[in-house]
Amino acid sequence: MSSQLLIAALVAGSVYALIALGLNLVYGTMRLLNVAHGEIVMIGAYVAYWGITLLGINPIISIFIAVPFAAALGMAFYFGIFKRAMRSREFMERIEANSLLVFFGTSVILQNVASLLFTPDQRGYHYAERIVYFANAQLPINKLIVLAIAALVCIGAVVFFRVSTLGIAIKGLIQQREASALVGIPVARIDLICFCTGFGIAGLAGVLVSMTEEISPYMGFPFTITAFVIVILGGLGNVFGSLFGGLLLGVLETFGVALTAPSYRSIMIYGVFIAVLLLRPQGLFGAGKART
Amino acid sequence: MNPRLLRQIGIATIVSLLAIALPWLGNEYYTGFFFTLLTWIALTESWIVISGMTGYVSLGHVVFMGLGAYVAALTWMEIPLWAILPLCGLAAGALAVVIGYPCLRVRGPYFVILTFGVSELVKFIVVNIESALSQSGRVLFAAPDINDLFFIGLGLAWASVVIALMVRDSRFGAGLRAIRENEEAAETIGISVSALKLAAFVLSAIIPGMVGALLILRSTYFDPLQIFNPQTSVLIVTMAVIGGSDRPAGPLLGVGFLVVLQELLWANLPQLYMIIVGALLIGVVIWVPGGIYGRLQRLIAVPAK
Repeated sequence: MSSQLLIAALVAGSVYALIALGLNLVYGTMRLLNVAHGEIVMIGAYVAYWGITLLGINPIISIFIAVPFAAALGMAFYFGIFKRAMRSREFMERIEANSLLVFFGTSVILQNVASLLFTPDQRGYHYAERIVYFANAQLPINKLIVLAIAALVCIGAVVFFRVSTLGIAIKGLIQQREASALVGIPVARIDLICFCTGFGIAGLAGVLVSMTEEISPYMGFPFTITAFVIVILGGLGNVFGSLFGGLLLGVLETFGVALTAPSYRSIMIYGVFIAVLLLRPQGLFGAGKART
Repeated sequence: MNPRLLRQIGIATIVSLLAIALPWLGNEYYTGFFFTLLTWIALTESWIVISGMTGYVSLGHVVFMGLGAYVAALTWMEIPLWAILPLCGLAAGALAVVIGYPCLRVRGPYFVILTFGVSELVKFIVVNIESALSQSGRVLFAAPDINDLFFIGLGLAWASVVIALMVRDSRFGAGLRAIRENEEAAETIGISVSALKLAAFVLSAIIPGMVGALLILRSTYFDPLQIFNPQTSVLIVTMAVIGGSDRPAGPLLGVGFLVVLQELLWANLPQLYMIIVGALLIGVVIWVPGGIYGRLQRLIAVPAK
């Protein structure tokens, strides 16, 4: 029983880590909290759902549709709304709160467009539900696929930030934006790259979520909250921290729900969110006072 | 009191006195429509006391309305209405102290997202309490008719406008604006910023608590998922921002516009209504920073660092 829970926690945690990774890229580089992040997850989930139900596309193949689609949305948002907003002096004066309202508006629009197009009903599809036995645990194959892909991308991201020049440049940007520009890092281009990659990863996470859970137009916001908690816990732009925070939250949620009742899940998510924001806004590994 | 303030309170009072005649037209549809308008005015004018004046944008104001509604649902038929309403306001004010004390320490986007999270947390707590009591929604019997609710709504809307006007012209309001412009500087010159922020937050919560009671007496049904719907918070912010949230006259324009739109779309196309609301919020924040009311420079003000 407990090894079953542990693997369930790993699956949930790896997806959370993935979603947080996407959020971290946007939040870390530009210090803008994309509260519409969960809605991109929702869109990725619908791409996979319609892919398999209408066209019979395997959800794994759908990844290659959902990711570019989400990234394109990111690009459209960046150029269509964001670049324009940056030209306004009043907007820039209060950029953090203003951009939050813009993202909130985006989130409301995406939710309701999805609800209008796809009805607000919960939907799901059956995919790779054959049970395998592993370490005394019964596991459907789809959960193992989710775990494998999420883990692969997360490990890939860790390597990317260690090895590649672009990865190191992004890390530099996250730590010292002004100084990065001074040493010749193309800040605007990296902003765009991070925006699109962040959205793309959210789309990927959406496909993975749809493999094991029911989806709906309003599924996104809890993911945004969870990802935000993880980003705060793990530290801005800290990929290792994100992975650790994701697994921690996966364990907390899975065991918490198992020990109490599923109806406490939302209370737990928001409770942890508020506690983290109030008690340790500088993260688990950070020191001193965070920018608040 | 300065002449401008007196004149504006006078206008608000005369308009309110004229509006008393409305139920005698005998058209229940119009009375209901204007009742809805009045509740949104009360919510939005209350909201600007904290968010318009200090720049601490609360995206969780529905929580006060929801708690007021819950208190009313629990006490309806137990105690008379004239006692329920102050109790709802008091409960909302007390919740504002509990929420505001920790939350007002963080600023800018953190405060925005935190208020949203707290309101969702309270919603799910109430949902769980209700399901533990095996209640799936509460029906309120023998609720007052729409005319009586209209008069109370009118009173609350009038009070919210007058409070907003008086705060604007008081030392208290000047202190709040100082916090918005530069919190450190305000503190340095001796403004007790924590106390002022908390007082404004509590003041902005009381009337929404009473509005919550009115709303469930109107629908005669209490369902926590419906009354604590976060969309209400988004609507409050959007109405205020569209009109211009810095001064009391601004939100009236935003409320009027969106409530008419709501009346046209809500019954058949609620999603389209919310899409338009989202688009308006984005559009106004980016292109019309002063809102419809124009002239304003800093509407969603975060205290400078």
